[in-house]
Amino acid sequence: MRKFLAVVKHEYKKIVLKWAFLIGTLLFPIIAAGFAIVPAIIFSIKGEPTRIAVVDPTGKIATRLKENLSAERIREKARQATKDAVTDVTASQEEKMQRGVEQLGENFVFVDYSEDGKSLEQIRRELSAKITAKELDAYLLIPRDFDSPEAKYEFFSRKAGDFVGERTLRDALNEAVRSQRLADAQIDESKLKTLSRNVTFETKGVDEKGNEKDTDSSFIAAFIIGLMIYITLAIYGQAIMSAVVEEKETRIAEILFSSAKPFELMMGKLVGVGLAGLTQLAIWIISALILVGVGVAQMSAAGISISIPNITPLMIAYFFIFFLLGFFIYASIFALIGAMVTSVQEGGQFSFPPIMILLIGFYFSFAVIRDPNSQLSFWVSIAPFFAPITMPVRILSETPPFWQIGLSILINGLAIAALVWLAARVYRVGMLMYGKRATIPEVWKWIRQA
Amino acid sequence: MTEQNTTLKVENVSKRYGDFTAVDNLSFSVKSGRVFGFLGPNGAGKTTTIRMIVGITFPDTGKIELFNQQVSTELQNRIGYLPEERGLYKKMKIQDQLRYFAALKNVPQAEADRRIDFWLDRMRLADWKKKKTTDLSKGMQQKIQFISTVLHDPDLLILDEPFSGLDPVNVEFMIEVVAELKARHKTIIFSTHLMETAERLCDDIILINKSRKIVGGSIREVKSSFGKNLISLRCEGGETVLLDKNLVNKIVEHADEKEIELTENADPQNLLRRLIESGATITKFEQVEPSLNDIFIEKVKETNA
Repeated sequence: MRKFLAVVKHEYKKIVLKWAFLIGTLLFPIIAAGFAIVPAIIFSIKGEPTRIAVVDPTGKIATRLKENLSAERIREKARQATKDAVTDVTASQEEKMQRGVEQLGENFVFVDYSEDGKSLEQIRRELSAKITAKELDAYLLIPRDFDSPEAKYEFFSRKAGDFVGERTLRDALNEAVRSQRLADAQIDESKLKTLSRNVTFETKGVDEKGNEKDTDSSFIAAFIIGLMIYITLAIYGQAIMSAVVEEKETRIAEILFSSAKPFELMMGKLVGVGLAGLTQLAIWIISALILVGVGVAQMSAAGISISIPNITPLMIAYFFIFFLLGFFIYASIFALIGAMVTSVQEGGQFSFPPIMILLIGFYFSFAVIRDPNSQLSFWVSIAPFFAPITMPVRILSETPPFWQIGLSILINGLAIAALVWLAARVYRVGMLMYGKRATIPEVWKWIRQA
Repeated sequence: MTEQNTTLKVENVSKRYGDFTAVDNLSFSVKSGRVFGFLGPNGAGKTTTIRMIVGITFPDTGKIELFNQQVSTELQNRIGYLPEERGLYKKMKIQDQLRYFAALKNVPQAEADRRIDFWLDRMRLADWKKKKTTDLSKGMQQKIQFISTVLHDPDLLILDEPFSGLDPVNVEFMIEVVAELKARHKTIIFSTHLMETAERLCDDIILINKSRKIVGGSIREVKSSFGKNLISLRCEGGETVLLDKNLVNKIVEHADEKEIELTENADPQNLLRRLIESGATITKFEQVEPSLNDIFIEKVKETNA
């Protein structure tokens, strides 16, 4: 037992007292804080306003466009976009980009330009000359037949790469043309606006006891928890592997085996590294809780109301339990791989399958978030290998009955017993086999003979 | 403990890996307080035998007794094992590594720290205590590994090629350290290919080849049992005596002396008398013992044939 504790202490210190651990541990909250704060900062920084000349021979579009691009309207849109971004983490990349653009909302300054009696060629030449002279940033040519399907709106810009400005302008222009079409069709625009207003759609979950609860926030939390467990399992699983490979590669194993039982050494390593992972996860969860608290306060100060997910101490206890279950499952697999191979590079190739399984588990958590009570969610949150990620996600999305959690713990506990048993047998023999990588039949022989 | 107590007894031990027999019915014993040379070519089964002694693996048949008890993991705390293939944690401070190795042998931390300081000082490495392995030369690392084997003050030391990677000055230094340990009545099993060093250090030896014991016993016994009648001779005259086929088997001419191999049962004293009688002037007449190296090569060749 004393030797076992010596191994635990050694492995724990080896990880925790390293710069990489400190940086990794601190970096995550900083990045998380960055995600929470940076958009708010960017949102307040605006690019320089774009000086634009609008050539509108019809005299119908330009006024509406100017109105759509007014400062108030852009601010209004940005506020809406921010609200959507907070409550919709599963948005596609495209949607996120769109939203980002809306949040940034560029300002436009309209430059007067009189096109009276000039030909299109002449207008282009004159305006382009102004751009070259830096008197103007962009100009827009509205065609005379603005409503025809073949009508081409031409936009010339000094800042052709400015997708934010381009997009804002395009949206405003579309809107302006649409209103003009409505007016031409004798439809009252203000009436149409009232009629086509979006409904207020509020999602409320109902928990087991029939109480209402807010789902938006708990599902962000579920996603974050799934991600955290996935990342820590992947990192610490591989940490186990490189620690095992180091002792094999440097032949320290032989000295260690002449001092303590291989099983003690392996378990000590698993427990020590596991505690290091737990330390990191604890720091992250605590800082996440603080950040969420601060974030919520900030948001409500900005007039955006989001509710705090309802996380109980029991839930946090479950996360740690499932993290540990996952850790021992993956750590024993990685220890087994480490004892089989001769170098970290070789181990890297072999660690692909377990990482894949881990990733699949992480992807399943999306299905669980969407429907925590489906058949699929039930099975993946019980199954060994997947449960350590999917069950905490499910508990946060909607806590399943206790027997399911208990069953999941039991099944994964049994999986750990089996995997540790296998790993210990491979470890005992593999650690003293130098020179070449063990083949699967060889490993199978060790397992049977040991 | 008296000189003749037995530290280690290996009895009819065999170990097989699949179809391959690594150790075949091997028996020997090591007396306490003596330096025991465990010799043999690569692949003879030395490492397998040592691993069974230190309790890393276990024999298929036969019995190993250490300090008059069956080998067990509890006895590991009384053994210091320096494996032939050995290493240190690359990015760890020397002090931390040594503390860990000591803790694994159940040495309390305060005592471990005291011994670490003592040994680093003895090895003239005190300045390197806080350095990492990667900052040390190969020779220094060898010495640190040696320290890790003696930190728990073991009664039995098993040193497998302890001097590899050391320069001649450091080899001499380490031989001195081993001699000190012997003076403190430690039993030392010393496995090596360097016959010259073995000859200097060992009281007893065993030579194994192809999983089996070839010869064993005290160095003196082994040498006399090998008993080749070799005479190193420098003289003028007496050629007729040396041509006597009943007396001399072979003559090898060196620069200024001859190596004479006598026939079996021939008495060196008889040769000396007859040379004097023949009126030869003798400036050197020495009965040469075979070196351990000669015995090693000869015996290994014999068993490989």
